[in-house]
Amino acid sequence: MADNLKDILSSLSPDIDQEMLLLYLQNKLSEEKRHEIEKKLLDNEFADDALEGLQQFDDKQRINLLVEQLNTDLRHKLEKKKQRREKLRIKEQPWIYVAVLIILMLIIIGYLLVRKLLLHQ
Amino acid sequence: MKVEKYSHITDQELLQNYYSSEDSKWLGILLERYTLLLLGVCMKYLKNEEEAKDSVQQIFLKAITELKKYKVEYFKSWIYMVAKNYCLMKLRDRQGKLPAELNEKLTATADSQPDTSTLWQNDKTLDLMNESMKELNHEQRQCVTLFYLQKKSYHEISEQTGYNLLQVKSYIQNGKRNLKILIERKLKDKAS
Repeated sequence: MADNLKDILSSLSPDIDQEMLLLYLQNKLSEEKRHEIEKKLLDNEFADDALEGLQQFDDKQRINLLVEQLNTDLRHKLEKKKQRREKLRIKEQPWIYVAVLIILMLIIIGYLLVRKLLLHQ
Repeated sequence: MKVEKYSHITDQELLQNYYSSEDSKWLGILLERYTLLLLGVCMKYLKNEEEAKDSVQQIFLKAITELKKYKVEYFKSWIYMVAKNYCLMKLRDRQGKLPAELNEKLTATADSQPDTSTLWQNDKTLDLMNESMKELNHEQRQCVTLFYLQKKSYHEISEQTGYNLLQVKSYIQNGKRNLKILIERKLKDKAS
């Protein structure tokens, strides 16, 4: 009983598993589990707000689909960003700059040599 | 939500991994943990499924950009605030007027909230709790007792008492808040 009383004053923000929240929404949990989730929600403003919104979906099965779509889209976006950055990184390889510099120097030296030879003639 | 193999890693650690390696994989895992909650929050404010979905995508983009710029301590509170601000901005655009201002106390909520469990260091507080319970109004006392002491769900309480689910939730929330106030007042009185 004392432990139960302590629960009332606890204000830690417990994390709520997304899968459990979905099952709660779809009324697939036992009364005991429902109580557990509800207790956590009382101390978790973020999840409590979210649940209020999720309850407004007409078709609760669609929520899962939307979440999957959003996650897939997120993965694609991050992958694209990663690839773009890797491309940039390749472009920024120092050996490219060194090679360009060497080629430029060879051209200048070649030009000077040819010019010198022509002057001597 | 296929990121269970990382479930042992905390948000803080995922964020640290992202900052130190700059590998967006970590950011992806972290954001995916909140997709459902973000969708729910957006739906709560915008009341439109498509708009809520688009908003979550925008919030993800915002998070990707912002997290690169500066370090975030409490990710959960931060992303919640970003989502609420984004939704309120959308509502403002939609209505052409300023909705109620967001309470910026968010920075101090969730992760950073202090635990009042220290109140339970002695048995006297339990007596105070019993005393304070009697001072709650009938509805609050009934719902708090059924919920916390008898571990009933909202649904069961609703069936037993005849209150609707929203009323049950409200009586529990208010009852809990009032109990805290009453106990803190009693502890203060005893100390002085």
